[in-house]
Amino acid sequence: MEKQKILIVDDSEMNRALLIEILENQYDIEEAENGAAAIEILSRQRNEFSLVLLDIMMPEMDGLEVLSHINKYRWNERFAVIMISADDSPEKMQRAYKMGAFDYISRPFDSVIVRRRISNTMLLYERQHQLEETIAEQFREQEKNNKLMIAILSHIVEFRNGESGAHVLHVNTITELLLRQLILHTDRYSLSKSDISLISLASSLHDIGKIAISDEILNKPDRLTAEEFEIIKTHSAIGAEMLSELPAEQQDMPLLKTATEICRWHHERYDGRGYPDGLKEDEIPISAQAVSIADVYDALTSERCYKKAYTHNEAIKMIIEGQCGAFNPLLLQCLEEIADLLKNAQNHNGIKIKGEISS
Amino acid sequence: MTLKECYASFGGDFDSVLLRLNREQLVEKFVYKFLDDKSFCLFTTSMENRDYDEALRAVHTLKGICQNLSFTKLYESSSVTTLALKENDYQKAAESIPQLSEDYHRIINAIKVYQGCGEG
Repeated sequence: MEKQKILIVDDSEMNRALLIEILENQYDIEEAENGAAAIEILSRQRNEFSLVLLDIMMPEMDGLEVLSHINKYRWNERFAVIMISADDSPEKMQRAYKMGAFDYISRPFDSVIVRRRISNTMLLYERQHQLEETIAEQFREQEKNNKLMIAILSHIVEFRNGESGAHVLHVNTITELLLRQLILHTDRYSLSKSDISLISLASSLHDIGKIAISDEILNKPDRLTAEEFEIIKTHSAIGAEMLSELPAEQQDMPLLKTATEICRWHHERYDGRGYPDGLKEDEIPISAQAVSIADVYDALTSERCYKKAYTHNEAIKMIIEGQCGAFNPLLLQCLEEIADLLKNAQNHNGIKIKGEISS
Repeated sequence: MTLKECYASFGGDFDSVLLRLNREQLVEKFVYKFLDDKSFCLFTTSMENRDYDEALRAVHTLKGICQNLSFTKLYESSSVTTLALKENDYQKAAESIPQLSEDYHRIINAIKVYQGCGEG
């Protein structure tokens, strides 16, 4: 196993030599003869170190200044700092603790105590790191499962709608791209990155209401009658109702709130002539506005039982010209701005958009 | 002359340093190294130049080395000087120099004698 590395910062060559003598069998050692040199080394190669032994009284830049720099840039998340203290400065040690020092070793050095103290500190730091890794891993795993559950659910809906398996995925991605573009132009909607991920995830559920619509109407290859079209239109309100019937304690969950507004309002129009509520402009939540455009774009560029697929250029043109609904002008601008991304993605089978934006 | 006798001659605590550093060889190595240490010299020059910050750092370093090597007597005199300089009492610091110097040179001489014995 590779030896862990320690940086010894002390202006006295003798003190450094003594520490090296005590530690060199177990660790790789690097030396710095003052604070400025330590900062120089750490700013270059701090990831190599597991521990810094830091003297307090030094020329150029003293130990407390070094500590303050380390603390400011949060370098001590990676390595522990142990102060080397003279026995006559308890107030300085107290300051060092407040500034993020992990422990101190006082002179005179006792080889056994120095070794043990250092190895314990490193062990503790390493364990903490492993623990953090484990938790992060579990979190990622959980999130993956959540996304998978939603993907399964939306896939069932798609399957029944006779839509291409990728529709939900495309809507996810286009929604995310649109909103990321939107926040470059305005902070009117106060969307954080995590809000955008949430909306993108919730967009998967936009059509769940369709499971309440009969097969004959849903998958009818011919033109729908006016009456049939009215029935189809109920899917948005039904989807929202289905979600609103979930237990009360779940109603406050952001994912559910967002999914509900997307279900209900993704067929509203910016001019107020959509359904089911005839909301207009920003009465329509931004989540539903974005999903609405994404849904239309992907529906146009996909083949359905009742229509052929339009090309990317045709679809963008039809949406911008208002042939497929009325949308927020700012979102239309965003759509134009991300058009090239969408076009490339469409050429590469859509699914790869994700990779391009997650850099 | 043994290293223990050498320590005794300048008021050092050999048992304590051996207990902490474990090996006599290691103690000897650092005792020899002390001959080359510049902190005492830096201290006296800084005092002459009235550079009291530098003088404080130098005598503080000397004190730390004495602690590590259990040079008890010199540790005590360097502590007096360090404290005086920390309190900006330059006169007291200057007054402490003869004692400090005496303790320092006694160690240096003793180490040289010890070194001579070893070689002879």
